[in-house]
Amino acid sequence: MARRWLVAAFVFTLVAALLGGALSGCTSPTAEVEEEGKTLVVGLRQSVLTLDPAMHRDRVTETVLRNIFDGLVTRTTDMEIVPEIAESYTQLSPTEWEFKIRQGITFHNGDPLTADDVEFTFMRIITEGAVDGQSSPRAGLLGPLEKVEKIDDYTVRFIFSEPWPVFLRMLPHQQIVPKKYIEEHGSAYFAEHPIGCGPFKFVKGSLEEEIVLERFDDYYGGSPELPPVGPAQVDTVIFKIIPETATRIAALQAGDVHIIQSVPPHLVPELEKDPNVVVKSCIGTRAYAMDLNTKLEPFDNVLVRQAMNYAVDMDEIIETILGGYAVRCPGPAIPGSFGYHEGLPGYEYNPEKAKELLAEAGYPDGFSLVIDTDEEMKDVTEAIAQQLQRVGIDATVRVWDWGVLKPLLDAGERKAVVSSWGNSTLEPYDLFEPKFVTRQGDVLGRGNYSHYSNPEFDELFARVSVTIDDEERASIYRQLQEILYEDCPQVFGYSTMELEACSVLVENWEPSPDSRINLHDVGLKDN
Amino acid sequence: MKLARILERILVSIPIMLGIAIIVFLFMRLTPGADPVDLMMGEAGHVSEQEMEALRQEFHLDKPIHIQLYHFLSGCLRGDLGTSYIKRKPVTTLILECLPATIELALGALFIALLISVPIGIISAVKQYSFIDRASMTAAFFGISMPPFWLGIILIIVFSASLGLFPSHGRLPFTVGLETITGFYVLDSILTRNWAALASTLQHLFLPSLALGAATAATVARMIRSSMLEVLRQDYIVLARAKGLTEYRVIVKHALRNALIPTVTIVALQLGVFLGGNMIVETVFGWPGLGRLVVDAIQRRDFPLVQGAVIIYAFTFVMANLLADIIYTFVNPKIEL
Repeated sequence: MARRWLVAAFVFTLVAALLGGALSGCTSPTAEVEEEGKTLVVGLRQSVLTLDPAMHRDRVTETVLRNIFDGLVTRTTDMEIVPEIAESYTQLSPTEWEFKIRQGITFHNGDPLTADDVEFTFMRIITEGAVDGQSSPRAGLLGPLEKVEKIDDYTVRFIFSEPWPVFLRMLPHQQIVPKKYIEEHGSAYFAEHPIGCGPFKFVKGSLEEEIVLERFDDYYGGSPELPPVGPAQVDTVIFKIIPETATRIAALQAGDVHIIQSVPPHLVPELEKDPNVVVKSCIGTRAYAMDLNTKLEPFDNVLVRQAMNYAVDMDEIIETILGGYAVRCPGPAIPGSFGYHEGLPGYEYNPEKAKELLAEAGYPDGFSLVIDTDEEMKDVTEAIAQQLQRVGIDATVRVWDWGVLKPLLDAGERKAVVSSWGNSTLEPYDLFEPKFVTRQGDVLGRGNYSHYSNPEFDELFARVSVTIDDEERASIYRQLQEILYEDCPQVFGYSTMELEACSVLVENWEPSPDSRINLHDVGLKDN
Repeated sequence: MKLARILERILVSIPIMLGIAIIVFLFMRLTPGADPVDLMMGEAGHVSEQEMEALRQEFHLDKPIHIQLYHFLSGCLRGDLGTSYIKRKPVTTLILECLPATIELALGALFIALLISVPIGIISAVKQYSFIDRASMTAAFFGISMPPFWLGIILIIVFSASLGLFPSHGRLPFTVGLETITGFYVLDSILTRNWAALASTLQHLFLPSLALGAATAATVARMIRSSMLEVLRQDYIVLARAKGLTEYRVIVKHALRNALIPTVTIVALQLGVFLGGNMIVETVFGWPGLGRLVVDAIQRRDFPLVQGAVIIYAFTFVMANLLADIIYTFVNPKIEL
């Protein structure tokens, strides 16, 4: 009898605890995260890989790190490069850059930031095995950087083995770490207890759950080009990992988080109805297209490739499938990128012209074609297949696991693939090199699924690498775009817009094309 | 005697685990797929040959497959499941960090499943064909049919976004300031007498547990109902009533105890399913457990991590099966291991 009561009491306690928890939640689900002052909560789509800026190759991770660490230079939301830790910079020769460092900057532990830290940061990345025996996966982001030399306490020089014109545009991706602290404690300790000179200090957190940052009151203010200059606006920032899109959106609507990334286009209309939510968009940095294998029949014929461009109505695809949240790329480059060719009109949708070209190329009755893609691009690819059927091409879609498809694409065994490639600098260099330069093992043309190889293009592209003058480089990019526009190694596609959403309480925040979230200048209104 | 049999069963599971480890390893290596080092490089242009070679050496990818298998198996025996390609940390550490969250959620789901199913099962059997019986069996039918991810999203939309009763995601905000000892937050908050953390933990635990446990609750309720119905027709129940026992004693002492025998096995097996099958629920609720770690690893093609997690899952299943068998012999002494 007594045992029965005991069991009953236990069950009652648990139920009461659960309900008690629920009722205490009634007051406000966000109450628990509100400490003294203003707390801004950001919902991230993936877990964070590390808190050591040298040990990842991941945008989400960079989003968090960017708020703890600052770089020599940074970017505005319009992708303009402006000095941050650096006071000024000059290019001494095609392979040498000199940076003057702002004085009076301190790390979160009070140590001053000097040229030693800058030299250490970059040498740690480009030297093999320099991070506790491991090599940094970010070396590739520094191109042919050979060494960084300290000239005096506040001057450093970057020396490259060959000219590398996108250096300045790639530089915002590298954040400065404290030399003395890492040498004293080791990289493993540093990754657990990171110290930077950015607007927020790391407080606590887990990479899989949430990361809590607190305002650094002695912050030097960040880039003078990005007002307001001074310590951060909010007191606490919390990054929460919420991988499921529906949950992330629900969390925003419930007021649990203030900013979310990666809003799918089809959910925008619903979110826009919510008076407490603002959806923001900006141009993206990813180019989507259908690559045509120029080494295989029938795409070894340029007329067929041009016909494909006339046969696909990208505007219709953008309107119907992407909800209008994409910008058409008339040629191979993303509109708005450096050296973008305004003069290319884009192939108009003209099925008749496509049929004529096909007949001229010797395919009056079309041909059969399997278009490859992965799950993400399935809808768009199916639409393309349908449009191709209208001009007599018997097109079907095959959806693959990307890991299985990629080796076949690399080997040149597939005819057509719909995929995308990132262009985070918005300078065509890091898009054209992997996509259109003649393949050379794993090193060059890593994403050249068209197996496009044009000596004229390669030669001209090689000139970009050694051309420092912006005007001249832009002019070369325009010529490169003209060549590709005529050769059509792809059916030119579109660039999706970055869609992010925030609470109406958030002030002074705009999404940036490279989807980084820099919270230094962001404020939060009172309820 | 019984103990010897249990030990024997545990020993038999060792070759099973070894077999699983070999199969998992070979599957990961032999399925057509891109070079992991190429994937690690992402979309970088101008990758240096040296950089690729250094990574290949770091992960033994430059060695022939049997040497790789040897490295992997000898590592497994030492409890070393390799190093994650992407997170650059030992797989064992990553899994151990996530395991308490998964176990806590599994126990929460089991608790909720039993809390719902046992009373419903009993009442439905005792009041067969009544309104309560029909209503709860219809509900059970829905419970079984609803996929957990859908139920999870509906729960979030209703209880979190609209009503604001429960948090939409996560396990416990760090700002609550719980000192972790075991990694099981319910236990830790009781140990440290942090009642605010306990309330918040239970609040966070409730919706995912419900989403995960709903289908099991429905299955178990139907199971208890049918075995209760069978037991209630037995002669010893008639005898018990004839002895003049109260209805309560007849049902709980005589009927339920016998009806629970088949249920217990199902519940033990369900625990294995909860531990291994909650990838979707963990992802929906942003629950930082093993399931979400694996989904993330698959998306990023982090093979060593996927491999390690699959082995842990297999181990859990083998153990849950063994547990079910052992419990069965205890509740029904007629059966031997």
